[in-house]
Amino acid sequence: MILAFALAAAVLFGCGAYMLLKRDLLRVVGGIMLISQSAMVTIIGSSQSRGRAPIGVQPGDVVSDPLPQALALTALVIGLATVALLLALVHRVIVVFRTSEVDELAAGEAEHEAALEAQRQADREEAS
Amino acid sequence: MIFTLALLLPWVTGVVLVALDGRRRDVGWLAVAVLAATLALLAVLTAQVLRDGSQEIVTGGWPAGVGIVLHADVLGVVFAVLSVLVLLAAATHEVLAGVRIRAFPGLVLLLAGGLTGIFLTGDVFNFYVFFELAMTASYALTTYGGKRRQLRAALVFTAVNLLGSFIFLLSVAGTYRVTGTLAMHDVAERMPAVDPNAAILVAAGFFIAFSVKLGLFPFHFWLPTVYTGSRPAVAAILSGAVANIGAYGLLRFGPGMFPAQLRLAAAALVVLGAASLVYGAVLAVARGDVGETLAYSAIGQVGYVLVAIGVGGTVGLTAAVLYSAVNALNKTLLFLAVGIRGALVAGAFAVGALSVAGVPPAAGFVGKLELFRAGIVVGSPALVVLLVVGSALSLVYMFQVYQGRFWRTDPSAQGPASSLPLRLLTAAVALIVLAAGLWPEPLLAVSDRAAEALLAGVPTA
Repeated sequence: MILAFALAAAVLFGCGAYMLLKRDLLRVVGGIMLISQSAMVTIIGSSQSRGRAPIGVQPGDVVSDPLPQALALTALVIGLATVALLLALVHRVIVVFRTSEVDELAAGEAEHEAALEAQRQADREEAS
Repeated sequence: MIFTLALLLPWVTGVVLVALDGRRRDVGWLAVAVLAATLALLAVLTAQVLRDGSQEIVTGGWPAGVGIVLHADVLGVVFAVLSVLVLLAAATHEVLAGVRIRAFPGLVLLLAGGLTGIFLTGDVFNFYVFFELAMTASYALTTYGGKRRQLRAALVFTAVNLLGSFIFLLSVAGTYRVTGTLAMHDVAERMPAVDPNAAILVAAGFFIAFSVKLGLFPFHFWLPTVYTGSRPAVAAILSGAVANIGAYGLLRFGPGMFPAQLRLAAAALVVLGAASLVYGAVLAVARGDVGETLAYSAIGQVGYVLVAIGVGGTVGLTAAVLYSAVNALNKTLLFLAVGIRGALVAGAFAVGALSVAGVPPAAGFVGKLELFRAGIVVGSPALVVLLVVGSALSLVYMFQVYQGRFWRTDPSAQGPASSLPLRLLTAAVALIVLAAGLWPEPLLAVSDRAAEALLAGVPTA
């Protein structure tokens, strides 16, 4: 059982990391979501005991560890909120930049770099 | 009572203020007043903790071991006071300059609530919850301004830090699996019995998560884009308050919960810290832009903290706490001073620059002194030389910035002076930095107590 959890978490993390390295922003968001799911699977896999659900238990029953389930629920809600925020941000970026390709976003960075270089050039001319 | 109030006040008012229009002056001032009240509550709490020892609350009236433990010790309250102070300065700055988006005051308060929670919780998973509260607020704050640069900064910041958060969560799951508990105190107690291989893996996960937050080399790649892209007040918040999560996390989880793993990796930490220090300083010298110089300087400065943690012991940890505090104040002062113009600003910036370089009488000198002491304790001449080189380089880049900004008749640096209250605020922050340098005993004593509290909580393995 632990092996199944470990494999599921590993596959999710691997797929997430692969998508994270893509150039399309929506794929990046998808990658982060997969990695968050990998964390959920790991939390559930970290249970200390396995058995039936801990509701209306009789003494002596083997119950599953309720704590990781509570943790996973909390983490799911937080993950949902943060991913929603990230999606809103990506939407805003796509509206403003009219692109979802990381390369084209980086072009802006290059412009800033070029402006700095021009400034340095001006400094050198002033000095000489 | 004060403990609970300090946690609830910023959180509840933050939720209310997010719904109001923060561009109105009165809403902005209300947020500043709440931050000031939180700071006062935390100051009282600090006085209590210093006098009577650490305080603990188990939430919801559950017996200890079932309920979530909130724990205020010296280390936690020092970081909480520091972060709320930084937030107060940055929020006041922005309200004086005119808030541009409606959610700003509410977001700053939520960030204050999250940060206070992080520093005052005694439970690993609760730490994650507050951590996400603070980070979500800061993701939204990074977009403040709404221009292309801010959006790009926010996107990079959110994507990278979300990844860091999930790595943290993976380590939390690992901690529960190997120890069967999430209360920090119990984790520290049970850690020595854990299989060393599993323990080192969990510890490495925490280390990576906090290093990403802190922007340590080689996890710094996101930092320059974000600090240069965001508005000065937000950059001050990110480098002065949000980065404290990383420093506090490394201190709390490293010496506090994984001391054996920390000892194992001590040499690696010192090397990483030294690399961060040199890399940050060299790139800061090479950059022409004020924002970028300060961003790379931030990477260099956190290197000092990591070196101090790597050295360890009372001396090293005192230096780490002290330097984190001084560095947060320096960065706040510098980022706030960069955003404004006029008389007093050059003086305030000079104080910040001297403090980063570690020249007396600014507070940075005391921080550097403690670091040198830590370097001498380990008896490593190479480390001391490295610290000197780092300080010399920081003097070079800070005065390059100073020269470029305040001496050159550059059209971009000219313009109408900022309003007097804004300049007075920056001068006040500069005075705090100066005062901490001129009368360092309180800060030193508190850092020393924090380090002792951290070491006292650790069972000797």
